[in-house]
Formats: sequence, structure tokens, C-alpha cells
Amino acid sequence: MQKELESKFLTDFEQHQNIVHKICRLYTSNQDAHNDLFQEVAIQLWKNYSKFRGDSKFSTWMYRVALNAAISLYRKSTRTVKTQDISALIYKIESKDYDDTEELQLKALYKAIQQLNDIDKALIFLYLEDKPYKEIADTLGISNVNARVKMNRAKEKLKKVLNP
Amino acid sequence: MELENYKKTWKNQPEETNKVSKVDIYRMAHSKSSSVVKWIFIIGILELIFWTGLSFMVPDNYMDIYKEYNIMGFLKIYTLLHYVVIFLFLILFYKNYTSISITDSTKRLMNKILRVRKTVKYYVYYNLAGFVITNIIISVVFLSKPNTLAKVINPEGLNTDINSLLSGFLISTIAVVPIAFLILWLFYKVTYGKLLKKLNNNYKELDNLEALH
Repeated sequence: MQKELESKFLTDFEQHQNIVHKICRLYTSNQDAHNDLFQEVAIQLWKNYSKFRGDSKFSTWMYRVALNAAISLYRKSTRTVKTQDISALIYKIESKDYDDTEELQLKALYKAIQQLNDIDKALIFLYLEDKPYKEIADTLGISNVNARVKMNRAKEKLKKVLNP
Repeated sequence: MELENYKKTWKNQPEETNKVSKVDIYRMAHSKSSSVVKWIFIIGILELIFWTGLSFMVPDNYMDIYKEYNIMGFLKIYTLLHYVVIFLFLILFYKNYTSISITDSTKRLMNKILRVRKTVKYYVYYNLAGFVITNIIISVVFLSKPNTLAKVINPEGLNTDINSLLSGFLISTIAVVPIAFLILWLFYKVTYGKLLKKLNNNYKELDNLEALH
């Protein structure tokens, strides 16, 4: 039973790992920190997997656990992102088959989001992932209305950073 | 540009190049080696603080007997050496903690776990052996001058037989030292023993993983 559960977990995680990588990119500023956060998320996901009953999709549950881990880890550590060299912030978003303008846009977007606070980061991330408000509210453990209000504020902040 | 338009950019972003394999995920999810090693270091420090604090609480007249025997110099040197050794162990614990990393290969991680176990084992052996040896030395020194011992145990000079005084001392030493040793041993078993057990489990899991390859 345990083995079966484990193997399902590993398959699901492997398949959806890109979600975690994106979160790590937003919340960390170098490869080491990225790996640390990724590991922390893996630990949290596995620790809580027995409580995951499959009443939501694995990916939905993954968003919640991973963001919680990122936010709590981010709170614990000193806010290193702000003091980092900005050019080091966007590491390894490079790909040959990726359009140049889009690449620049993406880098600018990451750079801007990284300047937001931990909760706003999560909100914007879920917005960009095209999640409905209901899911955003559930993921962050806030009410639907609150999610909308907070989201509007976060968007305003992001706009200001993107177009100063 | 409107935020809505960034969604497309976001969606089109390339996938992570450093994809993590199932084996890696398994290792990450289970491997708490680094936090175990961190706790070994922390407990080592707490233990040092505890013993140092305790030594400050010992009443001054407790040292009279050592003065009487003229072994204060020896005790001071011994204490100094002891602290040096403990500090060296703490440095090793710290180095173990900083060197252990989840990104290591399974083999390397296993080797590091073995090294951590070895360090902790030597640390516990050192402390337990140190406890026994110093107690034996001190008892021998005390018994070597029965008259001085009798004077310290019986300062009022009550009319008691010196032999019964000495045998009383011997019996209580023989009774108390093993009990104290047992308590110390139990303490190590509960703290480091538990942590080492966790490391051991980790080691076994890693070993199983290696077998999968």
C-alpha cells in the first residue's frame, strides 16, 4: 500500500514539477536557494500526501503546499532577494526556441514579480497561471472577496513596477 | 503592456532544464539527513552550555577537597584540555553539517552519513570514557592519602574508625559512579542515539535507492 502510494506520488510530482520550479524561480535568487526550496517543497508534499484525498487535482493541491512552503521559508529567511544583484535574479530562463522579445518580456516580468512581497507574489503567480478566483482563494486560504481585493492591489503594484 | 498580455508570455516560458527525476524526488522527500546533522551540532552546543553552567553552580567549598590534595593544577589543566577536545568535536559537527547537501550523489551522501556517525560515536565514547577515567583517578588519589581523606570527610574529628570511613567512601563511590555513568549513557542514548537512528534509516533508504540503479 505504502509502496503504491509512493510510486503514485513520485509519478505525479515528476509530471507536475514545473509548477514547483516556477515558484522556486519567483521566491529565490540563485540555484542553491532554488534547490533548497525545491527540496523543502518535496518534503512538505510527501509529508502531507497521506492527507491528500484526491478531492482536488494533484496539481491544485501542489500549488497550495508549494506556495505555503515558499511563503513560510521566505518569511524565515532574511529577504535576500532585494539585496541581490539584479542580473543574478533571472537565472537560466534561456532557450533557443524561445522568441527573443518574449524572453526579454519574461525576464522583465520575473524581475518585477520578485520585487513584490511574498503574498503578492503568490497572487500574481496564480493569476498568471490563469487560475480562477475560487481556486486562488482556496489555495491561499482566504475568502473569494478578499482574494479579488488583494489581487487588484497586487496587480496595481506589479503594473507600477513594470511601467514606472 | 497590459498584464493580461503577460499571461501568454508566462505560458510560453520554457520548461525547466534541470528536470528532477523520480529517484531525486524520492531522495529529497525522505532525506532529512541535513536537519539531523544540524540537530547533532545544536545539541552538542546545548550540552556544552549545560555542563559549563552546571560547573558554575558547584559551591566553592566543594573544591576544598581538591585543594587539600593539591590537585587543583591538575584539574585546571584537565578541564582546559577537555574544553579544547569538546570544541574540536563541535567544529567537526559543524563541518559535518555544512558539508552535507541534498545535491550530493547518493554514494557521497552515504559516505557523509557514515562520517557523521563516526564523529558522534567518538564524541560519546570520549565523554563516557572521560567520566569513568577521571572518577577512577580521583578516587585513587583520594584513597592514596587516607588521613587527608578522613580529615575532609570528618572535619569535626569525631571519634570514628578511619577504616570504616574509608570503606564507606569506597562503597559510596562504587555505588554512585556506575549510576551516574548510566544516567549519562541514557542521556546520550536519548539524544544522539535517536538522531543517529534517523540517520541510519536514511542510510538504509539511500542504500535501497542505490540498489534500484
